[in-house]
Amino acid sequence: MRVALFVPCYIDQFYPQVAVASLELLEKLGCEVIVPIDQTCCGQPMANSGFASSTEGCDANFTNNFEGFDYIVGPSGSCVLHLKEHHPSEKIRNSVYEICEFLTDILKISSLQAKFPHRVGLHQSCHGQRGLRLSSMSERNEKPFSKLEDLLGLVEGVEILKPERADECCGFGGTFCVTEEAVSVKMGVDRIKEHDANAVEYIVGADTSCLMHMEGILRRQGSKVQVKHIVEILNHA
Amino acid sequence: MSAREEILGKIYAQSEINHPGDFQGASEDFDFKAALEVVGARVLTAEALEIEFPGRRRYEKILDGLSLAEVEVLEIDGEFGVAENGAIWLTEEALPHRVAPFICQHLVINVSKIVPNMHAAYAELNKPNSSFGLFLAGPSKTADIEQSLVIGAHGARSLTVVIRA
Amino acid sequence: MLSHAEASEKFIADAERTDWHDETLWFVREKRDKVSKVLPEWEALREHASQIKDHTLANLGSYLQAFEEKAQANGIKVHWAADAAEHNAIVHQIIADQGSKILVKSKSMLTEECHLNDYLANKGIEVVDTDLGERIVQFRNEAPSHIVLPAIHLKKEDVGETFHQHLGTPKGNKDPQFLTEAARQHLRGHFLASEVAITGVNFAIAETGEFVVCTNEGNADMGAHLAKVHIACMGIEKIIPKREDLAVFLRLLARSATGQLITTYSSHFHKPREGQEMHIVLLDNGRTRQLADPKYKNSLKCIRCAACFNTCPVYRRSGGHSYHQPVAGPIGSILAPNIDKKANADLPFASTLCGSCSNVCPVKINIHEQLWFWRQDLMAAGLAPVSKTIGMKLMAFTLAHPAIYRIGGVFIRRFSGLLNTSLNPWYKQREMPEAPKESFQEWYKKR
Repeated sequence: MRVALFVPCYIDQFYPQVAVASLELLEKLGCEVIVPIDQTCCGQPMANSGFASSTEGCDANFTNNFEGFDYIVGPSGSCVLHLKEHHPSEKIRNSVYEICEFLTDILKISSLQAKFPHRVGLHQSCHGQRGLRLSSMSERNEKPFSKLEDLLGLVEGVEILKPERADECCGFGGTFCVTEEAVSVKMGVDRIKEHDANAVEYIVGADTSCLMHMEGILRRQGSKVQVKHIVEILNHA
Repeated sequence: MSAREEILGKIYAQSEINHPGDFQGASEDFDFKAALEVVGARVLTAEALEIEFPGRRRYEKILDGLSLAEVEVLEIDGEFGVAENGAIWLTEEALPHRVAPFICQHLVINVSKIVPNMHAAYAELNKPNSSFGLFLAGPSKTADIEQSLVIGAHGARSLTVVIRA
Repeated sequence: MLSHAEASEKFIADAERTDWHDETLWFVREKRDKVSKVLPEWEALREHASQIKDHTLANLGSYLQAFEEKAQANGIKVHWAADAAEHNAIVHQIIADQGSKILVKSKSMLTEECHLNDYLANKGIEVVDTDLGERIVQFRNEAPSHIVLPAIHLKKEDVGETFHQHLGTPKGNKDPQFLTEAARQHLRGHFLASEVAITGVNFAIAETGEFVVCTNEGNADMGAHLAKVHIACMGIEKIIPKREDLAVFLRLLARSATGQLITTYSSHFHKPREGQEMHIVLLDNGRTRQLADPKYKNSLKCIRCAACFNTCPVYRRSGGHSYHQPVAGPIGSILAPNIDKKANADLPFASTLCGSCSNVCPVKINIHEQLWFWRQDLMAAGLAPVSKTIGMKLMAFTLAHPAIYRIGGVFIRRFSGLLNTSLNPWYKQREMPEAPKESFQEWYKKR
């Protein structure tokens, strides 16, 4: 299967290991992975700040890089949701997948050669969870499901631990994290407290932006807890 | 131009969206007594009521609600109870005064008919309307101070329900 | 006036109180979860309610006229007010005709929206708010911080002190039972003496011309049934087509609001009491403008349950007053800019767009999507600081040009250490991400 890997800008610049893991994992699973090299960003930072009208250039660049693909896969629920909801090209909107949903819904994988014998705290990122429906949500009266847990369940040795409020927002929120700094940090601190109560070694999620925010707090706290994108675990030998 | 014309003039007819009709598929398996307990009401048998509230009174229709301000225990009849939430439908016609179930200190309501849910309740009400009616569920309550539940805010301090055959 | 971010920072400075506020409202959200999850038809009820409201809003003009006609036939006087000023003038005239100088009022967010209390005070008329929470904040000269739990920002010590000052309760007594009893006695005096009562309206039924008022305390009824004149104030969006529809809304309202099965009192006012005058004031105040915009029309479905407040992780940690509007929280943040864009330009940004609000909403308002739309409209209206506009344009330009993006990336990674300064809001309480030696693209080219 021919897949274009969409690497969100901040992952490209600050978390290249997440993109590397995505690439390796997709290749391991038999995909032919192409990385369009002139890609930059999905346009979400501007749009969520109220400047969706300024994303034409960004949108056009995305279209130029990705239009030729039937499967555009990215390791970020938030960026993928933005593309699905707001990208002007229908072809793009219909072809873009968050990597977990791609693994469970398109590749339909049922086994993985991966091992990660650690206590892992699961972070449900809002845009992936409520926006892309990667898992059921506590707000609704619905049958529980979780694509993230299904995937982690394929990894040897992982112990999944959920925080008391299983799907509360971490407070990243894009530019919210700096414009509403006090609330943003308080929300992050509260999430981390619940993960700490479970004595987790790692906080794991499908959105690096949330993890970056919590990592910043963890490191300021001097905590030993680390953050990892779920693909880093799924790709962990 | 009057405000009425101004407002109505600003409301444009919009694309036709149909009313979804009556709600179908509502649960019916509810326990009225359990719901009464949840809303803070007490259920007594007719015999226990005699022991508990020997001094309770019924009142005739009156025009002056203020005259009920000193009523300690008022007994009234509810039209029916709703099993899903413990609410009891009361009408002005069956009350001494609209304010009666609120102004008395303690309230006793007799109920002899129970419907399963609110949909059934409104189906029941599909008769000529009362000039005033209410669903009453439990005693007056508030949690406005630190979310601590306190019974007896402004209305009746207790509700006792007698389910009569 | 402080912006939401500034007011929140002050609120959060009291960590203990913030945690209490967060946990208390989360507990209410959990109660809502419990009662909604035992009803297998919960999601279908939400959908049904949403559809009834869609239908009603699409036919609002005819339903308003039908309601007016029925209500008048029932002996209720119907008034129309285009804006807050007209609303207040109508209410004042009714009170003046009665000759009253003091009156009781139960909870009505609409009268908060119109600042009715201040208006009447200036005319020499005292309004006694009778909802316990509202009476508490009224004594303190504060606004309600939550539309269902008006005094949720206060601790019992605060209420004890307020009642000591205003009602003469013993200093230091902070027992909720005792304080509630003191308020009961105090307000009973007003109920018995008041000739005019104002109430809000939860639902008005076009088919019958009646209106429904829901309370737990019984304060709306105590006021309305003893007064000679009852004035009910409602926004034009409170109309629903028929009585049977109430079944759907009453099943959703209290369960969503507080996790109760139903409010203690759901009173159906159909005709005035014998010898009583009953008035209804129908208010627009920007609602028709909201109705005409397909992006925001849905916000008029709101039944004021405040479930979106209780679930909002931002509201729980910033308190209602940080929204500087009578209706705070996520729903307030999409209603307020319609009234005044400039004054409320911060509110649609007081959200992470997590989407929890839209999914607890009993009438399925797409709140977080409307927050997003408001962000666009506010920025298009030129309400961004110059620095933000320049920053965003620069970012958009960079991300549209891959070569510039690559150079910019190198630059940012190399000099990210310079951002470790107190001027950087990120760095205030968080470390910056560690910059890797090479970007993914750089790594990939060498692969």
